[in-house]
Amino acid sequence: MAATIASQSSAALTFDLVARCSVTRARASYLTLPHGPVQLPMFMPVATQASLKGLTPEQLEETGCRLCLNNTYHLGLKPGQEVLAAIGGAHKLQGWQHNILTDSGGFQMVSLLKLANITEEGVRFLSPHDGTPMLLTPEHSISLQNTIGSDIMMQLDDVLVTTSPDAARMREAMLRSVRWLDRCIAAHKNPETQNLFCIIQGGLDLEMRRECCKEMVARDTPGIAIGGLSGGEAKADYCQVVATCTELLPELKPRYVMGIGYPEDLVVSVALGADMFDCVWPTRTARFGNAVTKYGVLNIKNSKFGVDFGPIEEGCGCICCRKGDGGLGITRAFVHHNIAKETVSAHLLTLHNVWYQLNLMREARDAIIADRYPAFIRQFFANLYPNKADYPAWATGALRGVGVDLLEGET
Amino acid sequence: MSAPAMNGDDMSFKILQPALEHGLAARVGRLVAANRTPLDTPTFVGVTSRGAIPHLTPDVISQHTDIRAAYMALEDFTEKSSKRKSPAIFSLPKDDCRPLHAYTATPSSTYTILGPRRTPAVVAPNGNGPKHISVLTSTGFERLTCENYCAAIEQIMPDIVVPPADLTFSSATPGAKRQVFMVQRTQQWLDEFFSHLDPEKKLKPSGIQVFAPLLPLSYPIQWKYLKHLSEEHAERLNGLTLYDAKILHDLKNHPQLLDLPRLSMESPETPQQILRQVRLGVDIFASPLVNTVSDAGIALHFSFPPPAAGSSGIQPLGIDMSSEEHQVSVTPFMEGCGCYACTKHHRAYLQHLMNAREMLGWTLLQIHNHHVMDEFFRQIRLAIADGTFEQKAGEFNRCYESELPLGTGVRPRARGYHFKPEPGQPKINKAPWNRFEGEGTPEQVAAAEAAGLAVTGPAAGGSETPLVPDVDAAALVREGFAKVDEV
Repeated sequence: MAATIASQSSAALTFDLVARCSVTRARASYLTLPHGPVQLPMFMPVATQASLKGLTPEQLEETGCRLCLNNTYHLGLKPGQEVLAAIGGAHKLQGWQHNILTDSGGFQMVSLLKLANITEEGVRFLSPHDGTPMLLTPEHSISLQNTIGSDIMMQLDDVLVTTSPDAARMREAMLRSVRWLDRCIAAHKNPETQNLFCIIQGGLDLEMRRECCKEMVARDTPGIAIGGLSGGEAKADYCQVVATCTELLPELKPRYVMGIGYPEDLVVSVALGADMFDCVWPTRTARFGNAVTKYGVLNIKNSKFGVDFGPIEEGCGCICCRKGDGGLGITRAFVHHNIAKETVSAHLLTLHNVWYQLNLMREARDAIIADRYPAFIRQFFANLYPNKADYPAWATGALRGVGVDLLEGET
Repeated sequence: MSAPAMNGDDMSFKILQPALEHGLAARVGRLVAANRTPLDTPTFVGVTSRGAIPHLTPDVISQHTDIRAAYMALEDFTEKSSKRKSPAIFSLPKDDCRPLHAYTATPSSTYTILGPRRTPAVVAPNGNGPKHISVLTSTGFERLTCENYCAAIEQIMPDIVVPPADLTFSSATPGAKRQVFMVQRTQQWLDEFFSHLDPEKKLKPSGIQVFAPLLPLSYPIQWKYLKHLSEEHAERLNGLTLYDAKILHDLKNHPQLLDLPRLSMESPETPQQILRQVRLGVDIFASPLVNTVSDAGIALHFSFPPPAAGSSGIQPLGIDMSSEEHQVSVTPFMEGCGCYACTKHHRAYLQHLMNAREMLGWTLLQIHNHHVMDEFFRQIRLAIADGTFEQKAGEFNRCYESELPLGTGVRPRARGYHFKPEPGQPKINKAPWNRFEGEGTPEQVAAAEAAGLAVTGPAAGGSETPLVPDVDAAALVREGFAKVDEV
C-alpha cells in the first residue's frame, strides 16, 4: 500500500492522497466509503436497475469493481421506495456488499420524459400513465437516495445540454443547481452513513464554471462532481471545462466527472486531475457485440472473428481471456457464434469490457504512483493509433496543456 | 483440456444397483470416461442452445452448478454463411483438445453429447428424405446426410454421439406407411454410420461413444430393427437413445442391449413424468424442462421424497417469481435450498429482476432450477439403492400438483430456432414498450433490430433500458417519487 501524502475525512468518507504525477495533474488516492475502500482513479460500471446486465454480484466483484452505480430514477420506479424501504436498501436488494453511487434521477427524468420542465421547485412533468401534472423536487430525490442507502448520493441539479446557446438560461441553471444543493443538504437524513456530492454546472462557459466551483466548494460536500458534460460538446471544450474546474477544486476531495467512459477520455481526464468516471458505454457496447481492447474496439460480429480462435484480447487478464488460473478459454469465435443469439455472449463481453475499463484505471494508478504517467499516456495512444498523425487533436491539445506533448519524441 | 487420443476401453457403464425385474425397473449406474467427472445415473444433463446452457456463462456453471454433461445439437453450429465455405467449428485445430469442447468453452471434465437436432426440435415442413434429415440452422432449413454427420463427428469429437434417426418431431402419430419408412431409414442410416465411422479404427481411438436411437414407435413396428441392433451392432454400441421410454417394456427380448445406458430425449413436463421414466429404466435425461421452466420465470419448488405429511394440502411444483406477492419477501426461492441463488439472494430481488426484465433473473433461475433437479436425481439414486424408490415416488405423486404453474412474466427474447413456428401462434412476448410521445415507432424498432442494434436483453431499439413510468400518478406519490403538481 502506497504511503499517504495527505488526507481528509468527513463523516462517511476518507480521502487519502498517495501520489501526484510530477508532470500532469494526475493523482492516485484511496477513497474509504461506508462499504469499504476503493482506489482512485477508477471507472464505475453502471448497474442501472440494481443488476449489471446479466452478471452476478460475484462476477462483478471478480472484475475488481468495488463501487458501481445504480440509477435513482429507475429504482424509484422499480421496485419503488416502499419496497426498498421494506428490504432495507439497494445493497440488500442486490446482494452487493461493496459501494453504490446513485445519481439524482433528474437527468434521466429530463432525457426520458419529453414533457419534463424545470422550475425553481423542481422538475415538472406529466405522468405518462394518466397525464397528471407531477413535480419531482430535490427533497424527493434525496429521500429516494436515502432509502436506497447509496454510499455516494448526487444532488438534484438543473441540467442543460452544454451546447445550449442560451447563456441566460445556462446561468439560471447553474445558480439554481447551487440553491438546490442547499435544499439537498437540508433534506439529507443520513450524513453519517451516506455522502452527498455537489455537481458543478455552467455549460462550456469557463467563467460560469469558475463561479460555480466557488459556490459549490463553499458548501463543503465530501466529494465534488463535474456535471453537464458528455452531451455532445466538442472534446476540446470538454477538456477545457474539466481542466478549469480541477484547478479550482480542493486537492483532498474526490473529483467525479459524470457520464464519461471512452478509454481516451478516461486517460486524458485523469491527466487533467479527475478521479472518478461512470458510463454505460462499455456494457452497452458489449451487448452490441463490441469488445474494448487496448488496440481499439473490435466488433466481434464481423465475420472474420467467426474463425478466430484466439482470446477476446491477447494478454488480457479478465476471466474470459486469461489462460489457466480459472480462465474460461473463451474464443472470439464462440462469442461471435452467439452474439445477438444467446445472452451468454453478451455476458462474456460485458465481463471483458468492465474488466478492461477497471484495469485501465488500475494501470493508470500504478503509473501515477511510480511517477511515470506521461509514459503511460504515450504508450496508451501508441497502442490505439499506430500512426501519430491520427492522434486526436483534442487529446494532444489537452495533454499539452498539462505538460505532455504526445507528438514530440519517441513513444 | 483432454487429449484427443483416448483408449476406448477407458469408457464404461456399470450398473451398480440392477433393476429388480430385468429391464423393467429403476436402476442405479455410473458412466465413466477418462478425464470426465463420472456420471451417476439416473441423472439429467444440461441442454445447450448453440453450445451454451442458456443464460449461464462457463464460470457460473462451474461455480454454481453441478452440470457434468451437456447436450449439443449439430444444427446449432452449421449455419451457411456467404463469408465462409464451411462452418467455423470445422476450422478448429484438433491438436490440443477436442474441438467441440474447445469451441464451446466446455471444461474438459464435462461430457459432451451430440445429436443432429436441438431438443425440442422445430418440425421440418418438408420432412426427411431417404438420404437426409432436415435440420434447422439459424439461417434456415438444410439437409444433413448421414455421411456429412459422420464427417462432422470425426471433426469435432463429441464424447457421446446419437446417430441420425428418421423422426418427425410432430405431436401427431405418423401414418402406418411412414412408420415403416422410419424404421427402415433409421436402420439403414445406422449401418451407414458404422461404415463411415469404424468403431475400432475411428470411434474407439477418438473416445467417441455411440448411443443408437430407438424409435418412438410400437414394438411390433420396430422389433426387427432392435433385433438387427442386437445381432449386428451390440458390440459397437455404448448406449441407447430413447424418444419414447415405453419401448423399454420390450427390451427384455434383446438381452444384449439391456445393460447399455439409456439416454432419453423425451421432453417430460413434470417431475412426476421423470419418475415414471426412471421407473421404466431411463438412466440419463436430456430434457429441456429446466430451461423452459426458467424462461417462464418459475422457480422449482419440490424435493424428493416430499416433506413430511401433514403440511397444508397439495403442494405446487414451482413458484411464479414474477408475482407481486414476492416484492418484499427476503426469503430464499425455496426454504432450505443450498444453491447460490437461494443462499445469496432472495425472492424480492428475483421478483424485481423479472419485473425490470433484467437478464440476471433468468441466470438466477437457471442456477436454482438446475440445483433442485440435481438434488431430485441424487435422492432418486439413493432411494433406488435402498429400495424405497417406489414408496417415495408414490408419496411424491400424492404430495404435489400434477402440473407446473404457468409463469406470468415476460420471457427472454426467442429466436427462430428456439420455438415451433406454427401459423397463427400468438407471440410469446408482447412488443417491448416504446419511448414516450411516439419516439421509437414499431418501424424504427424493427429497423434497429434489423440493423442488429437491439441485441439480447430487454432493451429494444438500441436504447439503454428505455423506461417511462408505467404506474399512475397516485403510485408515483406513494413511492415518494414525485408529488402531484398543484400549481
